[in-house]
Amino acid sequence: MIRRSLTSSFFVPSAIAVAWLTMPLAFGQAPSAVAAKTAPAPKPWTLPHLPDGHPDFEGVWTNASVTPLERPKELGAKEFYTPEEAAEHDKHELEDRTSWDRLGNQATVHYDMSQFGLDVSKVKVALSRRTSLIIGPDGRVPPLTPEARQRLADRAAKQRGHEFDSYENRPLQERCIVWANEGPPMLPAAYNSNLQIVQGDGYVGILQEIIHDARMIPTDGRPHLDSGIRQWMGDSRGHWEGDTLVVDTTNFTSRTAFRGSTETLHVVERFTRVSDDTILYEFTVDDPATWTRPWTAQLPLVKVDAPIFEYACHEGNLGMPNTLSGARAADKAAAEKAAQKDAK
Amino acid sequence: MTFKTSGIRIGLVAQCGWSRRIAIACAALAAIAPAISQPAAQTPAYRAPRTSDGKPNLNGIWQVLNTANWDIQGHAAAPGPMLPLGAIGAVPPGLSVVEGGEIPYLPAAAAKKKENFANRLTLDPEVKCYLPGVPRATYMPYPFQIVQSQKRIMISYQYASATRIINMENPKKAPIDSWMGWSNGHWEGDTLVVDVTGLNDETWFDRAGDFHSDALHVVERYTPRSPDSMRYEATIEDPKVFSRPWKMSMLLYRHAEDNAQLLEFKCVEFVEELMYGHLRKKSSQ
Repeated sequence: MIRRSLTSSFFVPSAIAVAWLTMPLAFGQAPSAVAAKTAPAPKPWTLPHLPDGHPDFEGVWTNASVTPLERPKELGAKEFYTPEEAAEHDKHELEDRTSWDRLGNQATVHYDMSQFGLDVSKVKVALSRRTSLIIGPDGRVPPLTPEARQRLADRAAKQRGHEFDSYENRPLQERCIVWANEGPPMLPAAYNSNLQIVQGDGYVGILQEIIHDARMIPTDGRPHLDSGIRQWMGDSRGHWEGDTLVVDTTNFTSRTAFRGSTETLHVVERFTRVSDDTILYEFTVDDPATWTRPWTAQLPLVKVDAPIFEYACHEGNLGMPNTLSGARAADKAAAEKAAQKDAK
Repeated sequence: MTFKTSGIRIGLVAQCGWSRRIAIACAALAAIAPAISQPAAQTPAYRAPRTSDGKPNLNGIWQVLNTANWDIQGHAAAPGPMLPLGAIGAVPPGLSVVEGGEIPYLPAAAAKKKENFANRLTLDPEVKCYLPGVPRATYMPYPFQIVQSQKRIMISYQYASATRIINMENPKKAPIDSWMGWSNGHWEGDTLVVDVTGLNDETWFDRAGDFHSDALHVVERYTPRSPDSMRYEATIEDPKVFSRPWKMSMLLYRHAEDNAQLLEFKCVEFVEELMYGHLRKKSSQ
């Protein structure tokens, strides 16, 4: 159903109203119900609509984040930071840590991303008071099923010692086939965490900067693709629940492997615009062949005033030939050394 | 009085023949009539359905029914560059989509085009699943989808997940060269006009080696002509390669199936063996 009525901060869709009342969120300018009782009434925010009557999600948004997907264990069941704690956490993440810290052990063989303005400390960040993107008392990806543990152990054993044998042994994103953050579910990348939404007749298009994959999501109620057609990014179908866009995705390949998932991965995403600057993005993932239960995460998408640039990943992929050439040179050197040893 | 139909013009000419006394006036009218009726002849009789903001509605999944991707010029059927593929790899014949038939290459560029054709198996960017650029993306043998809103129009191409965003607000300068370029659009009547700059020199026009430089400037025109078809025109300007601007023209057809949708054609994985196979570890072959 299309909702055209004016939606003030006091009459937000029910799911979000509950969220305001029970969770101390810190997204952009959205006034909280608690604040509204004590402070002078803020100017009511009106959800903008497009001429077709649907809420307006258009624009360029970022999900760049300093909030980890999983909650650090020492925080236990603490789901939210206080405003002071959040400020301290964000400052630490953005000012004290370097892009090399963030990249981990790749840093020594890679480059300083802050030099190119790619690092999260150089861009607009979608701040949240959440201690983890995953919601709930655990704040962590649920345990793997025994089947999944075995599957991942087998895969790792097969790969061990062969990491540089061929392009097939390299991660999907190094091959520029699909990046881990693209999803669905869509998560922040190490850099260029931007996406653009365009809404046309019965379709919502979402272009993610990495790696220029556009999701074309029909909202006309059509059924999913035949189960025989499997895609890296699955098959997405959208519908409107009030002012929330709900996107259901199935038909993944077995190779998509979102955190070890299989082709039975099922993702449900919910987009709700909560202020001029913010879309609240929530997703629930389920794969009975991988996790012992479904899990849900929530993160803000914050408006950016800039175009999406073309991320021509494959076209500029010198990394792949260089990596494999290096490995072959190392093979050759090792063989020569062994031959010399034999000769002695 | 409007000179909208050719019927009126014919009527005037007939009157002129009927009365010699107004011959001078007739001559003047005869000269004016074609000039007046010409814009009317160019204005398509077809009026496209509108979006909710009143613009011609181009939303949908479109594709050409031609062989321009093999060769934008007229060409007879020919064997393909990979003989083991037999008829599967053959070049299907097709009429020219280049207006006038000839591409006005500068002499050095004409030589390079021949060289490109001779080495197309290694040089054609399509072989490596590289982004196709504009206008080639439009007439590759894959569908593309238009998602149209007021401020911008997204075009998503099935081939290689290529995507463009057409800016429909104030035109902005291309911030940097890229494979798919920078697109500023506006409406001229029922025609979507897109000005494309910021294109790099890595893409081709077809599998026959037709190419351009980074000075390429493309003006595209999308004009609806029936509920399920539109005319696509691309004016090509590149002073480093061509002696004058030239134009392609062809039709786009709507995928009118109820369940039409873009499917993934992420071709990178189909070209990795070609590009990186020689770097495979020997013992694992």
